[in-house]
Amino acid sequence: MKVKVDKTVLASVALHVVVLGFVMLSFSTRALEVRPEESVGVDISLESQVAAGMKTGKKEEKAPLVEKVAEAKPVDDAVGKISEKQPVVTDTAPAPQPKAEEKPVEKKPDPPKVVEKPKEEPKPEEKKPEPAVDPIAETIKKEQKKPTPPKPPVQAAKPPEQQKPKERVFDQSKIAALIDKRDPARQAVTGETLNSNASLGLSKGRAADNSATWGSMFRRQVENCWKKPYGGIEQERPEVAFNIRLKKDGTLEAMPVPDGTPSTPYARAYSDSALRAIIQCQPYNLPAQFFDEWKAFVPVFQERPI
Amino acid sequence: MTDQDKLHQKLLLNRRHIISGMAALGAAATIAPRSALAQSKRVPITEGDFAPLPIAIPNFVAGTPSDGEVGVGVTQVITNNLKRSGLFAPIDQAAFIERNINVDMAPNFQNWKTINAQALVTGRMTRQGDGRLKAEFRLWDVNTAQQLAGQQYFTSPESWRRIAHIISDQIYERLTGEKGYFDSRVVFVDETGSKERRVKRLALMDQDGANVRYLTRGSDLVLTPRFSPSSQEITYMEFGQGDPRVYLFNIETGQREIVGNFPGMSFAPRFSPDGQRVIMSLQQGGNANLFVMDLRSKTTTRLTDTPAIDTSPSYAPDGSRLCFESDRGGKPQIYVMPASGGAAQRISFGEGSYSTPVWSPRGDYIAFTKQGGGQFAIGIMKTDGSGERILTSGYHNEGPTFAPNGRVVMFFREPGGTGGPSLYTVDVSGRNEQRVPTPGFASDPAWSPLLS
Repeated sequence: MKVKVDKTVLASVALHVVVLGFVMLSFSTRALEVRPEESVGVDISLESQVAAGMKTGKKEEKAPLVEKVAEAKPVDDAVGKISEKQPVVTDTAPAPQPKAEEKPVEKKPDPPKVVEKPKEEPKPEEKKPEPAVDPIAETIKKEQKKPTPPKPPVQAAKPPEQQKPKERVFDQSKIAALIDKRDPARQAVTGETLNSNASLGLSKGRAADNSATWGSMFRRQVENCWKKPYGGIEQERPEVAFNIRLKKDGTLEAMPVPDGTPSTPYARAYSDSALRAIIQCQPYNLPAQFFDEWKAFVPVFQERPI
Repeated sequence: MTDQDKLHQKLLLNRRHIISGMAALGAAATIAPRSALAQSKRVPITEGDFAPLPIAIPNFVAGTPSDGEVGVGVTQVITNNLKRSGLFAPIDQAAFIERNINVDMAPNFQNWKTINAQALVTGRMTRQGDGRLKAEFRLWDVNTAQQLAGQQYFTSPESWRRIAHIISDQIYERLTGEKGYFDSRVVFVDETGSKERRVKRLALMDQDGANVRYLTRGSDLVLTPRFSPSSQEITYMEFGQGDPRVYLFNIETGQREIVGNFPGMSFAPRFSPDGQRVIMSLQQGGNANLFVMDLRSKTTTRLTDTPAIDTSPSYAPDGSRLCFESDRGGKPQIYVMPASGGAAQRISFGEGSYSTPVWSPRGDYIAFTKQGGGQFAIGIMKTDGSGERILTSGYHNEGPTFAPNGRVVMFFREPGGTGGPSLYTVDVSGRNEQRVPTPGFASDPAWSPLLS
């Protein structure tokens, strides 16, 4: 006997299997990865040293961070440089006028660029003599083929751009820029030579101490496991350090050794809670390239200073 | 063994490295390992979680077949105590992998790790040949596989609850670093009957609401009972035939006596920390002043003399100072003064009025009732008046009293309407509020010191 099976049911089952199978394969869980934290080297100089004028401190690396050698961006000058004051013409002071006349003369160096145009124009003129056969037909063809006619407009457009800044347009929103008479230099950030040494912490930072990187990764992991004993609002502020040794896979090589013995019952409970956290949270996910640094270190459990 | 050998080898290797390194450097022959470790990187860890500690408490094993019931009872009392403290999260026994525990052997910690327990309590109750009950317990750290505490006690079978409280205190103390408070009692005013004809009796119970005993019959109105630090005596105020008077009551003998012989009414009594004196308010005309009476010599000393109502005095645990409530500035506020009398300093400056101050046995806080904005709140402040913190607020909350360790405050709350008051506890962070079960309505709680 054949059992009648509804085709729609079959289709439904098949579709469910496909969808669920896809979900099971593609929605697999992945451990939350802790991203390395970039650290920036900070030198501390004591106030007393500064006051005493001591200059024995570590010399800072003067080279700024340069990530790529790039062309300098043209500075977007919002207002334009004020080169000269507009002369105030009064009856008693006619003398400054000649100066005002000098300025237009200084401006004239720009027009020479316009003179370049004629230079390019002669080029087609030079070419002209070469073809002797049919000058008219050739010139027509050249005019059709060559995009030379568009070029002159582009070059011609440049001079007006350079001239533009010199027109001073009063913009109320840029009064601050009006007052600032310095040459705008803020955007000159690119450098000539590469220097990636602003970072101490990342592997590309080539620095000796990367503890800020793996240390913060360790901290974030162990803090997730640490259940502090609750000592009230105003409890003592204990501090407990452990000497721990880790294997390459992030598990403990040996039992953590507390540094010293706790002096009060609360400090003992505190120390116990920290030890529980260290043990419970392994294996630790720490960057393998710094294994030499984190294979043995001292986590210090303490209260954040108020 | 092989692991140990490997470890040993590694340690030897390390030592050889160190020695050769030192030889190369021409350093001294001995360098303390401490100094070598001090060079390692220190990583500060500051942000832990104040989460309740997961703890597994399997039923205490019965030493003889008839002890099963008491074993389960002790386990329940311990579980309830730790849970109510808010600092522990006892794991449901249904989740346990291991049921039949051998108390004399180290537990199989993997079984407890699997259910995320961080601490484990095992124990056994055994009836001895002489009729006494033997209670043994061990507290284990599951992650480090170490025993943190272990004790055995002998007691009469009827005080198995006290044993459970003592064990709870041991666990609490070892895991939090604070003194416990479970082995203590609470005296309170039990209220029955309708609102118009309320019968108020003095009652005594364990801190968890068990073992309620009535101390008075209810013919006279009783108010503000307070425990003596010696914990055998209670002082309270009773409306007898004449004026309300302060009485002393001995819990053991049931004896009762009037404190002093004053004209007019005396109220708001409290013991000094040494239990030798009682401080209280005496009414004088429209005013009330503070007096202290030595219980042995019966001599009284006046501490305040103001045209105002000074009441609710409470000593600091060292007995050097006391806090009290006074309306000398207009509204009731909290003042602190030397225990020998002298200038009082106002410490409460918030909105509203402050009353019923009580000094923590730990000395760090003063708890109070704060009234304002149509609400009654229970709060704490430091003894200089700073760091005020409201723990709970509502229609009517009043009468705070500290647990022996100063970490929990008990008070009574009236919901309004036709109901009556009931007792609540809240910890000093204000996070963990719990109702204390009582047979009827209850008010005016006072916590005893630790019994042991």
